[in-house]
Amino acid sequence: MAEVKKYEEPRIGVFVCHCGTNIAGSINIKAVQEYAKTLPNVIIADDYQYMCSTPGQNKIAEAIKEQKLTGIVVAACSPRLHEPTFRNATKEGGLNPFRFEMANIREQNSWVHMHQPEEATAKAKDAVRIAVAKASLLEDLIPKSVPVEKTAMVVGAGVGGMQAALDLASAGIKTYLVEKEPTIGGKMSQLDKTFPTLDCSQCILTPKMVDVYRHEGIELLTYTEVEAVEGYIGNFDVTLRKKARGVLTPDEATARGIIGGGCTGCGDCTDVCPVIKPNPFELGMAPRKAIYIYHPQVSPLIYTVDFDACVKCGLCVEACGEERKAIDLDAKDELMNVKVGTVVLALGYDIFPIEKKFEWGYKHYDNVITSLEFERLICASGPTGGHLIRPSDGETPKRIAFVLCAGSRDNTGVGKPYCSRFCCMYSLKHAHQIIEKIPGAIPYIFYMDIRSFGKMYEEFYYRIQDEGAKFIRGRVANILEDPVTKNLHVNAEDTLLGRPIDMEVDLVVLAAAVQPSADTEKTRRLFGVSCSQDGWLLEAHPKLNPCGTTTAGVYLAGVCQGPKDIPDTVAQAEGAASAASIPIHRGEVELEPYFAVCMEDKCAGCGLCVNLCPYQALSLIEKDGRTVMHVTEAKCKGCGTCGGFCPGGAIWMQHFATPQIVAQIDAFLLGGEQ
Amino acid sequence: MAVKKDYKDQKLAERLRDRKYYIPDSNPEFIKDVEKIGRTAAHMCYQCGTCTGSCPSAPRSSYRIRLFMRKAILGLEEEALTDPDLWLCTTCYSCTDRCPRDLAPTDAIMAMRNLAFKRDIVPRNFLKTAQLIYQSGHGVPNNAANRVAREKLGLEAEPETTHKYPEYLPGIRKIMDHYRLKENADRILAEGE
Repeated sequence: MAEVKKYEEPRIGVFVCHCGTNIAGSINIKAVQEYAKTLPNVIIADDYQYMCSTPGQNKIAEAIKEQKLTGIVVAACSPRLHEPTFRNATKEGGLNPFRFEMANIREQNSWVHMHQPEEATAKAKDAVRIAVAKASLLEDLIPKSVPVEKTAMVVGAGVGGMQAALDLASAGIKTYLVEKEPTIGGKMSQLDKTFPTLDCSQCILTPKMVDVYRHEGIELLTYTEVEAVEGYIGNFDVTLRKKARGVLTPDEATARGIIGGGCTGCGDCTDVCPVIKPNPFELGMAPRKAIYIYHPQVSPLIYTVDFDACVKCGLCVEACGEERKAIDLDAKDELMNVKVGTVVLALGYDIFPIEKKFEWGYKHYDNVITSLEFERLICASGPTGGHLIRPSDGETPKRIAFVLCAGSRDNTGVGKPYCSRFCCMYSLKHAHQIIEKIPGAIPYIFYMDIRSFGKMYEEFYYRIQDEGAKFIRGRVANILEDPVTKNLHVNAEDTLLGRPIDMEVDLVVLAAAVQPSADTEKTRRLFGVSCSQDGWLLEAHPKLNPCGTTTAGVYLAGVCQGPKDIPDTVAQAEGAASAASIPIHRGEVELEPYFAVCMEDKCAGCGLCVNLCPYQALSLIEKDGRTVMHVTEAKCKGCGTCGGFCPGGAIWMQHFATPQIVAQIDAFLLGGEQ
Repeated sequence: MAVKKDYKDQKLAERLRDRKYYIPDSNPEFIKDVEKIGRTAAHMCYQCGTCTGSCPSAPRSSYRIRLFMRKAILGLEEEALTDPDLWLCTTCYSCTDRCPRDLAPTDAIMAMRNLAFKRDIVPRNFLKTAQLIYQSGHGVPNNAANRVAREKLGLEAEPETTHKYPEYLPGIRKIMDHYRLKENADRILAEGE
C-alpha cells in the first residue's frame, strides 16, 4: 500500500539513442553518455544508433539481467512515440514496466536546437539527470483492466458515418448511429454525379442508406444530437437529445397504443401545410413546408415538423387522420442515455462562407454561385429538374467560368490556408456535365494547379481537356457584373501568356473552400478530442494512426479530420470502424495505473478534493469508523488536481508522486549536486 | 554565364543572343534586399497572377508585377532593375489587397525602385518630379488653368498646402536633403544631358 515505501538501493541503467543523425547530428552522444556515468545510482550508461530497434531493446533487457538494475532511463524521442516500446523491453528484462523513464532529447531538444550543438548537449545532460533522479524513486505498478461495453456509437451519418456504422454492426457490434438532420446521407446525397467514374451519387448512396436503415445491428437515431458525454474508453455514458420531430414512427405509435399508426411517408400532411420555408437541402433554391422531408429518397421516410416555422393550425393532423395519428404538435425534446464502448466521429464539413471574399461578388451578383449550388442545379432531382440556369433570368448559360481555390490556399486570414482537396476534381466533373448537357457551352477553368492525385484522376483530367474544357492558369483577381445583362466579367492574369484577361461569361461557379461543420467544435469538446490550428480534428498520428485520437476509444472518419473525397472518406471510415471494434472484441482495456491513491491514515475526510475532481472519480466513504476519501480508479485520469491540493498531503499520485517530482526539480535546480 | 559567339555582324549577334538564364548570373542576395526594404515575404509568391489580374496598369502596358516577383525570387537583379516597366506601378495597392499569400507586391516593387535608384537607374520624369517637389512641395504644382477652375468652383485659388503656406517648404526640403534626393536628381539629370 502507498504509505509503506521501501526502496532497495537504486541501480539505474541509462541508454542514449542516436536516432541516426536526428539526435546525434546536434547532440554529442558520447558526452551525454560519459556524463550519465557520473550521476548517482547510475550503474551502466550505453548508447546505440537506434534504441527502438531489436538490438537496442535487447541491450536494455540484457543490462537489467546482468547488472541487476532497478530502473531504466532511455534518452531518445518523445514518450508519445516509443514509451510503450521501451516499457516492453524493460518488462522483457524482468523489471516492472513502470520502472522506466524517458528523457526526450529529440522533439524537445535536437530538432529545435539544430544549430546550437553545445547548448543542446548541455540540455540533454539536464534531461538525463532529471530522468535518473525520477527513475531512482520509481516503484512497481500494476495496470488495471476494465470491461468494455459491447456497443459502439457513430456520430454523423454521411457516407463516412454510414460506412463506419455498417462495418461495426456487420462485425457483430450493436451500433448507435446519431445524425442531427432528419435524414441520413450527408453531403453526398446532395451531389449529382461523382468523379471520376461519373456514376450518379444518389444511385450509389441510396442502397447504402437502405442497408443502414434495415441493418439489425444499427440503431438509427436521426434528428438527434449529442448532449453530454461521461466516462472513458470501454464505458462512455452518452446523453443524446432527440429533438422534437412532431411525427411518430410506426414503432413509436405502437408504443403509444396507436396500433397500425405512425408515419407512412404518404405526404398528405405536407400538401395541406400553409407555411412555406426555403429547403436547406436545396440550399434555399426550392421551397418546403413546415412539415417536410428533404427529398424523396430520405431515410428514414418519416416527416419532420419545423417547430420554428409551424403555426400549429392543425391541418396536417386532420390530413393524417384518426387511424395513423402520426403527428403530435405538442412533441418535446427527449433525452436518452446510452452506454457505448467506443465512438467514431464522422462530423463532416460545411462550405466556407465565400461571400467573405467580396472581390468575387457571391451573394451580391445573381449569377455567381457555389459548386454545391451547381450540383443541385445540374441534378435531375434538383429544383430545376437538372436544367442549369442563370439565377438572374432563367436562361441557359453558354459561357461558364469556374473559379478554383476560392477561399482555399489563402493566407490572408479571410480564407483557409489549406487545400480543400476535392474542388479540382469536382470542377473537372462540372466541366464535363456542362459539355454533355448544353450543346455549344464552354467551361473556362481558372486554376493555379490542377491536383488530380487519385486513382484514375489524371486520366479524368485528360478526358475533360479532350472534351473541350478551356484551362486558364491564373487565380481570379475580381469579378464585375454588367448591370444590364447581368453577365460577369472575370478578371485574372493568364500567367502562361503573361497577359491580363477580362472574360465575359454568363455564369460563375466558385469552388468554395470547406471548413469544419458548425457543430464540430461543440462535439469535439464533449468527447475531449483535440483539433489542429485550422479546426479539423486531430488524429493521434498523421501517418501511423490517422483514425485514432489522443482520447482512447474515440476515432475519426471522413472530412472532420481534414478535407478528403468520397473514396478516402469511406476508406478512413472502414479504418476507424476496425480500430473501434478492437477494444470491443478484446472485451477489456488496460488502464495506465496513474491513479490517485488515498493514504487513509493521513486523510481527514474533509472532502475538498471531491468537488475539485474534474472526472467525478472521488467520493467520501465510511471506513473503520472514519470518513475517508475513496478513488474510483477506472474514472481517475491521474491529472493530479486532488494530489496537488490536498491540505494534509494524503493523496499519493502513482508514477507522479511528490517525492519523485521533488527529486526531479532538485536534480534540475541543483545541477546534480546533492 | 551566357554563351557568346563572335558574329561579325552586330545586329546578327544581338538577334541570336543566348537568352537562357544561368544561375551564376543571378544574385541570391537580391530577394533578401527586396524583403528587407519592402518588409514583405516576397519569396512566398506562388505565381497565381492575382496581382497582375488586379493591376490597373497591366492592361495598358507591358508591366507585369507577377514577373517582377518571379525575377526577385530567382535573383535576376540586373533584369529587374534595368526594366523600364519597374516604374509603371501606380502604387494603388490593389494587388496587396487581394494577394492570397498576404504579401505586399507593391512594396516589393517600391523596394526594387529603391535599389535601382541607388544605382542611378531612374526615369527622368521621376527625377523632375523630385525637383518640382523640392521647389513647390508638389509633384504636380498648381497652375493658371487650375486656379481659374478652382475659383469657378468657389474655392480659393491656392489649396491648403505649401502653395498657401510656403513657410512649410523648408521642412519638406530638409527631409529631401537628408536623403540627398534633390542633390542626386540634379546630378543624374545633368549627367544624362
